[in-house]
Amino acid sequence: MKKFLLPLLFLLLFILESLFVQFLPSDLFGSRILVPRFLFSALLLLTIYVGKKQGIIYGAIFGLLVDVVYIEVIGIYFFLFPFVCYLISKVMQVMQSNIVVVFLATLFGIALLEVGVYEMNFLIHVTDLDFMTFINLRFYPTLILNAIFILVALYPLKRQFEKYAVALRDE
Amino acid sequence: MPQFFLNKRLIILLVSIIVLVALIGFSLRDRSKLTWPEQFVRDTTGWFQSLVSRPANYLAGFFENLQDLQNTYEENKELKSRVEKFASLEAEIQELKKDNKELRDVLDAKQTLRDFEPLPATVIGRNPDRWHEIMIINKGKTDGIEKNMAVVTATGLVGKVKSVNQFSSTVQLLSAMDPKNRISAVIQGEKDVYGFVQGFDAKKKLLMVKAIPSSEKIEKGQTVITSGMGGVFPKGLIIGKVEEVKPDQYGLNQTALIKPGADFYDIENVIVIKRLMTQPDRNAMKAGKEEDL
Repeated sequence: MKKFLLPLLFLLLFILESLFVQFLPSDLFGSRILVPRFLFSALLLLTIYVGKKQGIIYGAIFGLLVDVVYIEVIGIYFFLFPFVCYLISKVMQVMQSNIVVVFLATLFGIALLEVGVYEMNFLIHVTDLDFMTFINLRFYPTLILNAIFILVALYPLKRQFEKYAVALRDE
Repeated sequence: MPQFFLNKRLIILLVSIIVLVALIGFSLRDRSKLTWPEQFVRDTTGWFQSLVSRPANYLAGFFENLQDLQNTYEENKELKSRVEKFASLEAEIQELKKDNKELRDVLDAKQTLRDFEPLPATVIGRNPDRWHEIMIINKGKTDGIEKNMAVVTATGLVGKVKSVNQFSSTVQLLSAMDPKNRISAVIQGEKDVYGFVQGFDAKKKLLMVKAIPSSEKIEKGQTVITSGMGGVFPKGLIIGKVEEVKPDQYGLNQTALIKPGADFYDIENVIVIKRLMTQPDRNAMKAGKEEDL
């Protein structure tokens, strides 16, 4: 039972993202675009609290899922999710993991992901937005939205992941 | 991070970048069909999504109803004033339809570009990073949906079917930037003007109709519909209204900016349009020309 809890949680976040976009009134924030990165925030927290290996494996699986289901271009998230998870795990090796540092590191990871996704989409001509417009239209609003989500979800997720880490160690 | 450039890690990074490029190249190809693992994964997640999205839709609908109740009085007043106009309009339409049918029978033109079969569907998911403007609907190949069919809401065209799975399919919205996404359109006026819907202005949230000859005069407020000449969409689906006209880069053509009739963000139920006339045959072309005059 406990083994299925984690994938189920991620799957729920995966669907929640799409629901969020579907039901968010669009004209609330003008033409700004808020991208929910709930799944990825949880993946980063998993990397920080449980381990690099789990983070990268879950990142690859769910990255592939996002690619196949939502964007039909396989490779973007499949590559970026594990890559950013890896970088964040490296960063956390030198930092101490108190809750503020974790919060900032997760936000930094999301920022990296956003810029990475933008660059890739720019390369394959999915978008022709210039960088400054991207920053104003997408980057800041996205960071603010996800900062709020992390603030709300950080503590419950931390407890869940720490429990999972203990269970892993006991095995 | 000096250890980042250790040999083994560097090799892993390089290999994964190669795999990445190969995968992106593979999926960017113009694919007529998705591979079966992709279809399987999408159908499975589609099932989960419809499981979750149905109660969510009910909930959202409930709150919407509450909101609607608030302005019922105002709306009622306005609607009442419109109803009277409606009755006479309807009578007129009935007559025109009958006339049209009779004339067509005389001409022996059975099918027109306008004929289509509607297939209702519900939106069960949407791409969270709105780079690729894609949404997922709960009808697939088993319900008769095929690639490239037009997708509309009550207020206008929203996009086309991008790929089809067994039980679900994805819709590419008009607001997606895709050079292959070109729709032949007519700007209705005293004289019909033809152009291509191509591209979306993300900042202004307006669609762009390109390749309009610069000699044509277009005014704000004219209605834009699909022309049916592209061979995939039927004729007469509403796209939007002209908002602004400007000359293009070299001054040879004009570009019209169009306010889409449908809201691309708040979509719950859609109708997939199955065009009955598959090939634009000679009769249809003649009929189109006569309408021009």
